[in-house]
Amino acid sequence: MTLILKVLYRFYRAFSWLRYRMRRRLTPAGWMVLIALLAAATMGVDTENTVVYQAFTPMLFLFVAAACFSIVFRARFSVRRSLPRFATAGNVFNYQILLRNLGRKTQTDLSVLENLADPRPSFEEWRAVQIAREKKIRSFRFDQPRQMKPFRRVTIKDAPIPAALPNHEVEVEMQMTPLRRGIVRFDGVALARPDPLGFFRAFHSLSAPQTLLVLPKRYPLPAIALPGIMKYQKGGVALASHVGQSDEFVALRDYRRGDPLRHIHWRSWAKTGKPIVKEFEDEFFVRHALVLDTFIFDPHSEAFEEAVSVAASFACTLSIQESLLDLLFVGTEAFCFTAGRGLAHSDTMLEILAGVSVCLNKTFSSLEHLVIEHAADVSGCICVLLAWNEERRALIAKLQSLGVPLLVLLIAEPGQGERLKRSIGPGAPERCFVLEAGRIEEGLAQL
Amino acid sequence: MRTPRFLLGAALLFWGWQTDFLAAGALMAVILEGARWTKLRWEFSDDDFSRIWTICTLLFLGVAVYAFTDNGGPARFGNFFHNASYAAQTSAATTRTASAMLRWLPMVLFFFVLAQAYSTREEIPLSTISLILRRRWKKAAKSGKPVPAQRGMNVSYPYFAICLFAASVHPGKNNSFFWGFCALLCWALWTQRTRRFSVLLWAGVLVAAFTSGYLGQHAFGQLQSYIQTLDPQWFERFARRSGTDPEQSRTFIGRIGRIKLSGRIAIRVLPAPDSIPPQYLREASYRIYQDGRGYRGNSWRAGTARDAFQSLQPETNNAAYILVPKTNLGRANITCYLESFSRDSGVPVGLLPLPSGSGRLENLPAFVLRMNTLGAVLAEGPGLVSFNAAYGPGATMDAPFDPDEMTSFTNRPSFGWNRNQRRETRPDDVVTVNPDLYIPEREQAALTEVVSQWNVPFGNRPLAMRAIANFFESNFTYSTWQEMPRMRRRGTNQSPQTPIGLFLTRTHHGHCEYFATATVLLLRKLGVPARYAVGYSVHEKSGQEYVVRLRDAHSWALVWNERSKAWQDFDTTPATWIDLEAMNASPFQKLSDLWSWFGFQFAKFRWGQSNLRQYMIIGLVPVFGLLAYQIFARQKRHRKNHPGAAAKLTWPGLDSEFYLIEQKLMERGLARGPNETVSAWLKRALADPELGTTAEPLHDILRLHYRYRFDPEGLTETDRAKLRHAAEACLKEIKARPV
Repeated sequence: MTLILKVLYRFYRAFSWLRYRMRRRLTPAGWMVLIALLAAATMGVDTENTVVYQAFTPMLFLFVAAACFSIVFRARFSVRRSLPRFATAGNVFNYQILLRNLGRKTQTDLSVLENLADPRPSFEEWRAVQIAREKKIRSFRFDQPRQMKPFRRVTIKDAPIPAALPNHEVEVEMQMTPLRRGIVRFDGVALARPDPLGFFRAFHSLSAPQTLLVLPKRYPLPAIALPGIMKYQKGGVALASHVGQSDEFVALRDYRRGDPLRHIHWRSWAKTGKPIVKEFEDEFFVRHALVLDTFIFDPHSEAFEEAVSVAASFACTLSIQESLLDLLFVGTEAFCFTAGRGLAHSDTMLEILAGVSVCLNKTFSSLEHLVIEHAADVSGCICVLLAWNEERRALIAKLQSLGVPLLVLLIAEPGQGERLKRSIGPGAPERCFVLEAGRIEEGLAQL
Repeated sequence: MRTPRFLLGAALLFWGWQTDFLAAGALMAVILEGARWTKLRWEFSDDDFSRIWTICTLLFLGVAVYAFTDNGGPARFGNFFHNASYAAQTSAATTRTASAMLRWLPMVLFFFVLAQAYSTREEIPLSTISLILRRRWKKAAKSGKPVPAQRGMNVSYPYFAICLFAASVHPGKNNSFFWGFCALLCWALWTQRTRRFSVLLWAGVLVAAFTSGYLGQHAFGQLQSYIQTLDPQWFERFARRSGTDPEQSRTFIGRIGRIKLSGRIAIRVLPAPDSIPPQYLREASYRIYQDGRGYRGNSWRAGTARDAFQSLQPETNNAAYILVPKTNLGRANITCYLESFSRDSGVPVGLLPLPSGSGRLENLPAFVLRMNTLGAVLAEGPGLVSFNAAYGPGATMDAPFDPDEMTSFTNRPSFGWNRNQRRETRPDDVVTVNPDLYIPEREQAALTEVVSQWNVPFGNRPLAMRAIANFFESNFTYSTWQEMPRMRRRGTNQSPQTPIGLFLTRTHHGHCEYFATATVLLLRKLGVPARYAVGYSVHEKSGQEYVVRLRDAHSWALVWNERSKAWQDFDTTPATWIDLEAMNASPFQKLSDLWSWFGFQFAKFRWGQSNLRQYMIIGLVPVFGLLAYQIFARQKRHRKNHPGAAAKLTWPGLDSEFYLIEQKLMERGLARGPNETVSAWLKRALADPELGTTAEPLHDILRLHYRYRFDPEGLTETDRAKLRHAAEACLKEIKARPV
């Protein structure tokens, strides 16, 4: 089986290389001529009933002549790219490339393309994706799930370069759409010059290595009253530099379940019509755990990406609400990152989430141990889970027995939401919601 | 990408010229290019484009089905509503279905490109063409997900390519297509050329490519001629050959083991209500028995050159053929497949299974019908033919026995098991004898042994037939199994026996080929002219009709009846052969019969033997009508319900002279990006040092232009004049600057 997969992987690499090359080399007119050539080659064999062969030969020679012009393109340019620090998956943004013509000739009719690092996966990663796809295929169904391109990270549109005079700098605006979170590596840029007939493009590559971190997609969260009460934190005041229960008054905020009545600010309640409490600095404060489930067989699962996005949304929002947040997940090992209250900003949390990948070599129990270990310190726990099976039920049951207030979010694959909802039994916590990939925003709004 | 002016019209004219649809091509060109001169436009929605695409698809399917079912191709469309002359289709039969469909493509897709030309849109959404995209959009909309962005496509260039390809579907006799194609290609490429290179270089590349192409196409032709001159026998191995060969019939005589024949239904016979169904359907008859060297290769040959096929001319109604002028008492409708293909014309060809004594064939949809002197009728025509055969006792299609006809045969030396027994042919091995009385030398011994037991006078047909019939009836059984025989007679040095010799003297069992061959040879031994016939036995009734399966294939003898001057059937195979063959039938025969019936119905449709084709295409007319009604009635309703929408919106400032400046700068290669604001674009354009001096007036013009376009109060007369004059001055200055 592995041998067959290895052969297929070789085919995949060769085919994707060919497709990449041809997409860059051929212009739309070139594609049309190529298709016409193939059609003429097929039909031209019958020289008795058709004269297609008469069309084949001039097209072939035109194509070859155009190809000859695309072999070499010499130009002298220097390049500078101004990229933002971060981008967000799914959000289109523009950035600039500055090109200086160092030659003595004005360069016209050029366009610029980005040379990205080879995005093709290793054999192991490719195999994992293929096996995951196989599992999703349902026999005797024409309506199979749509095949996504899991290894494509970004799309960048080619941009025309305005006439570049000698020793002048031109600015080209590029448009980029990050498709997935993670690091995008740029190797350089390629200047493309069409041949006289406009079928092919010749390239001149310039080195400009750079990286861009694409953060996970985030969703706006409604005002969620997160579960839990304030707890004594071992870090003490140093950790609790902002919010707690010392005598130092800090601010007013909305009442949350469990707040002592003596902290209610009656005047503000009278003014606003809703309970408002006073906040004090102390080592007693709210600390939430954000548990991210990374145990899924498909490394490029849509549900997993959405789970990361949901976690990122909470990471941003909770930091704003000024509490502590522990991000717990299992990758190559069990990780716990704490953010908020001067420890780390939400940016750091998002950077971490940008690099999270599924865990294929450990069992769910490793996450369970990590969560139970931290359960004593946290005021409440937000669990972003990818399934609702025995292992996950056991974890939730343990947390419930420890008295940890819970918000459980189950992320389902597209079209599987209802099925997952039906599988939730009576033992589920009170605040357990199913969010379907592709309709997460809608689901979050209903929380 | 839009095509340059008149390119599509020229392509349509070229297509019409090349494919003899000049009038249609010219009309289509005028209608299509007329869109440039008229302001008439329709506001087609995505659904309207989908419906127009559906019309084109249905039209394409209709043409495809018609071309598929009519070997004459859609070029014969004119003959659609009346019964076409089958003889006239001979020349058109060579036209390939696919070629015919391609030739019609510009007409089929014309409505779609016309809709684009007369619509208010530049591009047609891809979802109208792609079922997958349409489904994806609908699914996304249904599930409440964000609908993916619509992508559009201008179909002018693909249509141009289709016109050129369609124009090539004809057997070219000169280079007019080549030069026309090159001219149109130059026209199309002119607008696509890269401005970076000079026109001279562009033209040079084209001339070089076209010259090479011209020489190359001749080389291409020579290459093909060369390939065709390669060993034709080698290629022949790939050619499909099936069905009965009128020249030669290879028998299973001498084969070891069980002969298995398929239960597939090959022929359907529907006798007329008052007719006796034919007992046999004969395909061919043969005169010369050739026993093969070794233990295989026994065959019957038709005979000499006089057995070559002669064309039969139809009667005036073009579908009736007289084989023998006589009174026919019986009549049956026969439907059979023509399973081989003619090497010359490529159309299906096969021998017709005809009842004994057939005198006339009616409603035969054959393109060419030929008959040989041995009564084999060879038809070229559609893959399935259904015809009426009139038959009766008396004269047959076969040439009568001619006692004066003499042919020389070489009796090959007996084969031996060792080299010592083999020898070269000597002059005394050559015998001259009538072909209908010829017996190979090696069969003589066994035949003499058998005949010597009877007391039948030489040449007495009735006694000979009775003796032979009794001989086979009393001593022989039918069997499709042959064990490995001991060929040499034990204890002797005699030559090994032939399969027929073994059958007659020792094994006494075999299948119909043994019986028929032995009967013919015994009759000849007794001085009665006889021939070997192959065909089918008709015995299995299925409803009103009789079905004939492949396993009903049969062979029998033809005996010359001197009194009636006709060849009569003489079958000595034990009657039990039918039951024995039926025992070998598959338990799933009912299923296979059902499958055969579906295949038969499809073949009837495929080869134009049913009326379904006509009904189907006529049925498409109301569908087209309904779709057209939906497209145009919807627009009418929309206009009625939204009277304001019909009125053209006139935005102020669209006649601003600033647009002329924008156009001019675009010609200098400073095109404005799709999302670029005018001011940002102007800033970028003015980076060109050649335009440096125009920067200030341009900014003033832009300010006035913005006011003219977007200020609710508009421009005063003075400012409007100022904008006009300033723009004209600026244009002059830009024109004066070198690019």
